[in-house]
Amino acid sequence: MLNRELLGPSLFLALFTLYAIIAWQIPLLPFEEYETVTSATLPKVYAAFGIIVCLLSIAATLLKPKEQPSDEQQTLEKSNVLRTVALLILMVLYSAMLEPIGFLLSTSAFLLIGFFVMGERRKAVLLLASIPVAVVFWFLMTQVLGIYLVPGNLWS
Amino acid sequence: MFDGIMLGLSTVLDWNNLLYVIIGCFVGTFIGMLPGLGPITAIALMIPITYSIGADSGMILMAGVYYGAIFGGSTSSILINAPGVAGTVASSFDGYPLAKQGHAGKALAIAAYSSFIGGTIGAILLMVAAPLLAKVSLSFQSPDYVVLMFLGLTAIAAFSNKGQFLKAMMMTVFGLMLATVGIDPSSGTERFTLGQADLLDGISFLLVAMATFALAEALINVTRPEKKDVKGINDSDTPQIGSTKLTKEEIKDIAPVIGRSSILGFIVGVLPGAGATIASFMAYATERNLAPKGLKEKFGKGSLRGLAAPESANNAACTGSFVPLLTLGIPGSGTTAIMLGALIAYGIQPGPMLMQENPSVFWAVIVSMYFGNIVLLILNLPLIPYFAKVLAMPKSVLTVMILFFSLIGVYLVSFNTFDLFMMVGFAIVALVLRLLAFPMAPLLLGFILGDMIERNFRRSMMISDGSLSFLWERPLTLSIFVISILVLLFPLKDFITQRRADKAALKVKSEHAS
Repeated sequence: MLNRELLGPSLFLALFTLYAIIAWQIPLLPFEEYETVTSATLPKVYAAFGIIVCLLSIAATLLKPKEQPSDEQQTLEKSNVLRTVALLILMVLYSAMLEPIGFLLSTSAFLLIGFFVMGERRKAVLLLASIPVAVVFWFLMTQVLGIYLVPGNLWS
Repeated sequence: MFDGIMLGLSTVLDWNNLLYVIIGCFVGTFIGMLPGLGPITAIALMIPITYSIGADSGMILMAGVYYGAIFGGSTSSILINAPGVAGTVASSFDGYPLAKQGHAGKALAIAAYSSFIGGTIGAILLMVAAPLLAKVSLSFQSPDYVVLMFLGLTAIAAFSNKGQFLKAMMMTVFGLMLATVGIDPSSGTERFTLGQADLLDGISFLLVAMATFALAEALINVTRPEKKDVKGINDSDTPQIGSTKLTKEEIKDIAPVIGRSSILGFIVGVLPGAGATIASFMAYATERNLAPKGLKEKFGKGSLRGLAAPESANNAACTGSFVPLLTLGIPGSGTTAIMLGALIAYGIQPGPMLMQENPSVFWAVIVSMYFGNIVLLILNLPLIPYFAKVLAMPKSVLTVMILFFSLIGVYLVSFNTFDLFMMVGFAIVALVLRLLAFPMAPLLLGFILGDMIERNFRRSMMISDGSLSFLWERPLTLSIFVISILVLLFPLKDFITQRRADKAALKVKSEHAS
């Protein structure tokens, strides 16, 4: 299995290689054919340089003397990871629902569920830090600053 | 210069702008105090607001947030030993022991005075250095800019934490690559859009800044909470503030330290990639070496000198980092990179012409620093006990609020939900990279400088008839290029020394084992 030190450079190597493949396929316009610098020049340079840096990093990691894994190395707690994933899903849902159901409803729900996911169980905090915040923000934006906020495509 | 100062004064003294200085300092202090959140996050969160208030006011607000966040970071370093920003880590070495000894008020007062003097000396030096450098840089041509930006990118990688050089380089290249997405402005060719019409205009700077800093910072605090996170802090953890008065002897003792550290901090701040963190550590180490024997031993145990040195140096460095930004248009740190992006978004091209084309922005930022420092001293010092309560804010509420403000901040600028999805995608990538200990600032710097590098590189190649000879034709270009190469090779020395040390350590271990 890849260790932590190798994972990053390996991921970047894959990404940079993919970038290089696309960079070499950038279509050149007729007038660019005889030019020294085209729209593909720097992307190719970046890709080549990036791949070299990744290979150097992988080589440096492999050449490094192996150390005993230390107890201090930070491990991720499952509950924290799950919480982070839940927040990411919530953000995607918020992005998807913002326009269909409108700012007020989606924001209130996002904040309320977000606080809940973060372990907040006090009803007063859950309710007072979500709906009023969404309403006050909506009021400031639409009524004071005159910025349009979607009321919801589903019912407008 | 006098005319410039007067112009800056008249801009800053506009009551709207004065209000922005105060708001900036307040918000910066507030966010900077929260462990894990630094000036970059604070500024990223403010960008959507600055878009609606004009360039002068926007830059004044962001500058206020910047030094406010550094000041706020010192407060959490001193009170709970949890620095909000890397630049204030050195402040906790002696600040926290002082607080534990019951002198929290004194420590906070020293931090405030040192920051004020460091910031003010920095502002004076900036006022002298920036116009001079701007005049010199008027003679700069495209090739000089290419190598100068190259220097900026290599320097931020070279000055990154030990052993992180290659990681920082990968992030820089990643940032440069992201900058190539969209229609090529020179030829009109589509690049890396993957058939998505939403990517034709490229990736928004705000989106990348918010995703990689504000969102990723908030999420990393959930994934890997600090030992002393916001949730864990209660009243018993926060020491009593106590008196903020300093005796004459104490003032006499720290005054030369503050003077020296401020100048050192400013010089380090001007260097691309160095910034407040390196400045504060260097000032701390210098003062420890300079201290007489009796006082040297007090370092790390509550030395007033040990607190004054990093505090004055980090604020002076923040001011110093504006020199390359305002005069060359090249940011030396992640924070100034965000400001550069904001300036470009305003349609202002930072660089030597900034002082001539937009003198009000140039001088207003410089003059606002005086006012910002005064605001921090007059308003924040008496309010510290109340600000300290911020540290007790529930993390559950705070994290979700940051996520909300980041998402809605980007949406309010583009009104496009595609940007939100992309932002979450970037946040996931940034989170994984953060967990793998990749630094984020080089990515942002590469992303922001990418477009400028490409434009100047093309122009240089055109001037030199498609040859790379522009790199050595002019002495100035050649000098900067050679410095960049040296900076690039600098970490190699560390790598070789480290390898030798590792091998030696392993040999000793195996001999012990056998």
